[in-house]
Amino acid sequence: MTATATERRSRSRGRLRGRPQLYRSYAQELALFNTRPKQVWVGVIVLMSFLLPFLVSDSLLQTLALGFAFAIGALGLNIVTGLAGQVSLGHAFFLGVGAYTAAAISGDPDGRTIGFGITNILVWLPAAGLVAAVAGVLVAPLATRLRGLYLAIVTLGLVFIGEFVFGEWSDLTGGNGVGREAAVPDLFGYDFSRDSESLTADQNLYLLMLVLMLVFALGARNLARSRVGRAFSAVRDRDMAAEMMGINLPRTKTVAFGISSFYAGCAGALIYSIIGFFEPSSFSLLLSVQFIAMVLIGGAGTVSGTIMGALFISLLPTLTRELPSYLPVISAQVTETPNIYQLESILYGLLIVGFLLFEPRGLFGIWVRIRNYWKGWPFSY
Amino acid sequence: MTEPTRSPVTRIREHAASMPDAVALRDKDMGIWREWTWAEYWDQVQLAGHAFLQLGVVPGDRVAIHSENRPEWLVADLGALAVRAASVGIYPTNPAAEVGYLLGDSGARILVAEDQEQVDKAFAVLDECPELQRVVYLEPRGIRHRYDDRRLLGWPEFLELGRSHRERHPDALAQVLAGQRPDDLATLIYTSGTTGPPKGAMLTVANVEFATRVLIEEGAFTDPPPGPRDLTLSYLPLSHVAERIFTTWFNAAAGTQVNFAESIETVPQNLREVQPTILFGVPRIWEKLLAGIEIRLSGASWLKRKVAAFWLGVADGIGERLVETGGRHTAGTRLRYAVGHVFFYRALKDRLGMRKVRYAASGAAPIAPEVLRFFMGIGVPMHEVYGMTENTAVATGNRPGRVKLGTVGEVHPGTELRIDEETGEILTRHAGVFAGYWRNEEATRQALTEDGWLHTGDVGEWVDGTHVRITDRMKDIIITAGGKNVSPSMIENALKASPYIREAIVIGDGRRFLSALIGIELDTVGEWAQRRQLGYSTYRDLSEKPEVVELVAGIVTEVNSRFAQVEQVREFRLLPKELDHEDGELTATQKVKRSAISRMFEDAVQDMYAGAVGPR
Repeated sequence: MTATATERRSRSRGRLRGRPQLYRSYAQELALFNTRPKQVWVGVIVLMSFLLPFLVSDSLLQTLALGFAFAIGALGLNIVTGLAGQVSLGHAFFLGVGAYTAAAISGDPDGRTIGFGITNILVWLPAAGLVAAVAGVLVAPLATRLRGLYLAIVTLGLVFIGEFVFGEWSDLTGGNGVGREAAVPDLFGYDFSRDSESLTADQNLYLLMLVLMLVFALGARNLARSRVGRAFSAVRDRDMAAEMMGINLPRTKTVAFGISSFYAGCAGALIYSIIGFFEPSSFSLLLSVQFIAMVLIGGAGTVSGTIMGALFISLLPTLTRELPSYLPVISAQVTETPNIYQLESILYGLLIVGFLLFEPRGLFGIWVRIRNYWKGWPFSY
Repeated sequence: MTEPTRSPVTRIREHAASMPDAVALRDKDMGIWREWTWAEYWDQVQLAGHAFLQLGVVPGDRVAIHSENRPEWLVADLGALAVRAASVGIYPTNPAAEVGYLLGDSGARILVAEDQEQVDKAFAVLDECPELQRVVYLEPRGIRHRYDDRRLLGWPEFLELGRSHRERHPDALAQVLAGQRPDDLATLIYTSGTTGPPKGAMLTVANVEFATRVLIEEGAFTDPPPGPRDLTLSYLPLSHVAERIFTTWFNAAAGTQVNFAESIETVPQNLREVQPTILFGVPRIWEKLLAGIEIRLSGASWLKRKVAAFWLGVADGIGERLVETGGRHTAGTRLRYAVGHVFFYRALKDRLGMRKVRYAASGAAPIAPEVLRFFMGIGVPMHEVYGMTENTAVATGNRPGRVKLGTVGEVHPGTELRIDEETGEILTRHAGVFAGYWRNEEATRQALTEDGWLHTGDVGEWVDGTHVRITDRMKDIIITAGGKNVSPSMIENALKASPYIREAIVIGDGRRFLSALIGIELDTVGEWAQRRQLGYSTYRDLSEKPEVVELVAGIVTEVNSRFAQVEQVREFRLLPKELDHEDGELTATQKVKRSAISRMFEDAVQDMYAGAVGPR
């Protein structure tokens, strides 16, 4: 018997040496890292990231750890907004749901606020994600009927509802202006938020967040190249056309919101487990905007761009805090004007406007442009 | 004969036995290069062979194949050979009238046609080919469920016939194949016919085997000889002897992996993907590639343009030095090339799809040495080779390391070549010389002497006693009114080396001076015009622009400065249309039909000689 054409096509084969563009199977074309340089560079960057805690100061490590946790949240927003094209301003709400779920599970049973005393991260992290995902799926029916501006307004409402509920439910949250302690990052008795024998607390947290972010990033990347991910892109590019191709719109949008919220819930739990303490007013519109800034500045729809954006926004305060020593006009005090916190807010705005105007594809777009310049060498097209 | 006869078919059977899972062929399907292993390939050939038996094909019959390059072409070709029938390749661009002539003249019993277009051509001329019994089509679109003719048969059904025949008579094919003899007709290759109607050159199994031995196994072309690790790209018509060698016979003899280009338009893209190690092109392809590089570089950003200009300058130097050494690198060129490789040549060759080319060849028509030197300079080992259908393409070739630019190389070992002292015509004699023209005794008598010498019809001369330089086709030599012999192809190629000129036809037989009809290259001149804000609508409009005429005049003047007084082109006219096979101006191999051209553009020719009272 001869192999039929389809059998021949589906037979999985590796790449041919030195011929990166000769695809012998679809799997090869869809591979996670489909070119040799990508494999090498991702490897190098990951390796460098693991060596970093032994090279730089602890305060920078803490900022980076926070940046990684933010990146997880940004990856979530990227799935629903960048990939599936559903504008969501309600990301802060899902972050809050996750953060409180985790805090409640890991909290002290005898404390002032609700707590169940299960500090193992393997319990509270998935739980935070799942509860947020359920919240996302509950919201999704709205999203499947709306799009664009209307969806943005509805999700904005979500943030206000959240702020109100979190502020009033003081048994869980401690109430406005008071707050409560966050989840404890503990793995079978190993507490990442404390100095251990060989590593400081910041090194511990950095490594934990790095590993988690890599796991989540890998998940997001794999999702993007799967059947579901392709459905997301189709919905983003033109929902009616996607429906014509047989994509189930309500289900796809629900899945997008669910997964996105799962990411947000996990990110919320992690962010505050680094900081240690939080209060309800954190989950305001500003937090949502911050995430949108990360996705847009990084490059909507791309995983590496989103991570770049998240790290960029997280490192921004570190940079602005240096400013008063160079520009005495700007104060480091909250009470004086202009101060660095105001400057930060202005910078977010400016960056979003600037990127949307001049580099709509974000940091990733800049990278693509540089790459294409060399890819086309010695031609321009 | 005690030993069984070897042929491409038995060679494929050997490969299928020795390396069944290695890749034999690749073709692109829905964006994926799917692979055919030797076992699969041989299986398909067997099925095709059995199907031919089932359809009543007997040894000596002809099977016509009218298709673009694709695995089924090879399967049909070798399936026919397996049952001792001869294949006849028809160019996909052949218009219906020529298809009718070829089918009728060859007396093919079965036609393998690619798609609806080719089936339609065959049906339009069925009356002229009484011997045609079956038409097997490869692409069902537009045919299945629409055409109702009992002579039609789809490719899958054809293979199914073979399968059931094989089940009933498992040994039938092997028995027929065992009877194969060296003087069996292997294939009929129709010459392009620049003057008269095409003539079918009969190549026997012995001819093919001789060419295989000289050109492939003994490595007359490549050094070291080709092997299973070599990749080739198949994109020129398989009805031509050159592509048949580089695709079918290289593959069968040396086990090279054949990759089929999707079409002639996608060749640049397919080259980049496949990155072949052995690449054959006709001059038109190399000229077009060169023009493409120049266009794309001129459109590049400032820095890239400067870098390119610098390294192309260096490449010129390297090319010149290589020309002096015969293609062998010296320490100086190696160093310059190594540095340039990092900054420029590697990337350039990668974009062109020639990064892995270890042997590149140009043949089938004369080419301007400048084009060859350019490719040598950027690191593509380029060799001009010479041969023709009638001697199974075995005549001369430039050997790696012993290249002489402007010549077609040295005589292959084990073959004879002489140049007639009176006429200067090149004659060859060896086991690859064809058996004669199909059903054309007279033409055969003219081409072959009593003692086996083949008249090539090319005029040539010895260079340094080892290499051969071709002056021109014998019948193309121009004798001016002043009695001077001029070779038009030298002048034409010098003109065609410019990226702006696609066709040049030099005229002047019996005239007082030389003139030329010149066809511009639409892509490059169009780009040139756009950069000068010169609007145009059609080819004709563009070629009538005074600026374009001036551009070409500049090139003509520049080329003239390299030739002697009598060889200079005094007048020229631009052709108002692109020359085309369908309109009878070009042959299937894109060669200009001179007589047709000067007849069609008689007004322009008259005009050139009317106004001029003498050389300006």
